[in-house]
Amino acid sequence: MKINRPQRKFKSIDLLPLINVVFLLILFVLIAGRPTTDHPGEIEVAISRQETAYVAAPLSVRLGADDKFYLTGDAPKSLAEIATRVAETGVAEQGLAVELIADRRAHAAALMDFRQAMAKAGVGEIRIKTEFAAEQANGN
Amino acid sequence: MRIDRPKRKLEAVGLTPLIDMIFLLLLFFLLGSDFVRFSQSQLAPPRGTGGTEGMSQPAIISLAETGQVQWNGAGVTRAQMRERAAGLIETDAEQLFVVMPAAAAEVQQVVGVMDDLASAGASAVTLERDVFDIDLADF
Repeated sequence: MKINRPQRKFKSIDLLPLINVVFLLILFVLIAGRPTTDHPGEIEVAISRQETAYVAAPLSVRLGADDKFYLTGDAPKSLAEIATRVAETGVAEQGLAVELIADRRAHAAALMDFRQAMAKAGVGEIRIKTEFAAEQANGN
Repeated sequence: MRIDRPKRKLEAVGLTPLIDMIFLLLLFFLLGSDFVRFSQSQLAPPRGTGGTEGMSQPAIISLAETGQVQWNGAGVTRAQMRERAAGLIETDAEQLFVVMPAAAAEVQQVVGVMDDLASAGASAVTLERDVFDIDLADF
């Protein structure tokens, strides 16, 4: 015996809730995010509880976890080469700051070498790039 | 004369292009945004190079590889260091603090000490090589 099933009507899925959620996601990203900076991904900067306005410096030097210094490329640079770049860009003459993007695992010896080389090159102010975190697990 | 126009069927507006665009926007903002909040720790010029130096003697803070801190040669905790720094700043707002990290100390430890000094109100913090790490070839 043939049973006639009632034919189901295929209703289209209501897409409005989906659009609402996606719009909310876009809003969240717009509010919580900031435009991407040119921060090198391989460097994990030190965490700081002090939040200061981040101002990009005309010259940025990277200090990797391997205690080597880098400018724009991937080839390590000596401090003499960095001092030459400082002289070329005129950072010291204009009294501008140099930014140091230092990996948190780098050693203070490299930091001090950089400090000394920059002082010799005439750079007065150095800004160490940090990552702001309200709670820091470094104090005692 | 009355003209009978053919009745137009009202078709539902296709939402697929709209959803495509919204997803593309979402992807764009997700990839183009940074959720990390960067900050900066400022290092004052070294002593004797014309930087900001207060009237009083600079406070020397040594930082060992283990994270232990010495204040003018005496071992202190980080909380005590903050208290002493705040006390000095009350008398001289331009008090200079010289942090001398051990060569093997990590940048995170140095930034931690600088943070503590900044939270105590210090505006002039500089770094100098620990006397035990000075290379005589520099002279």
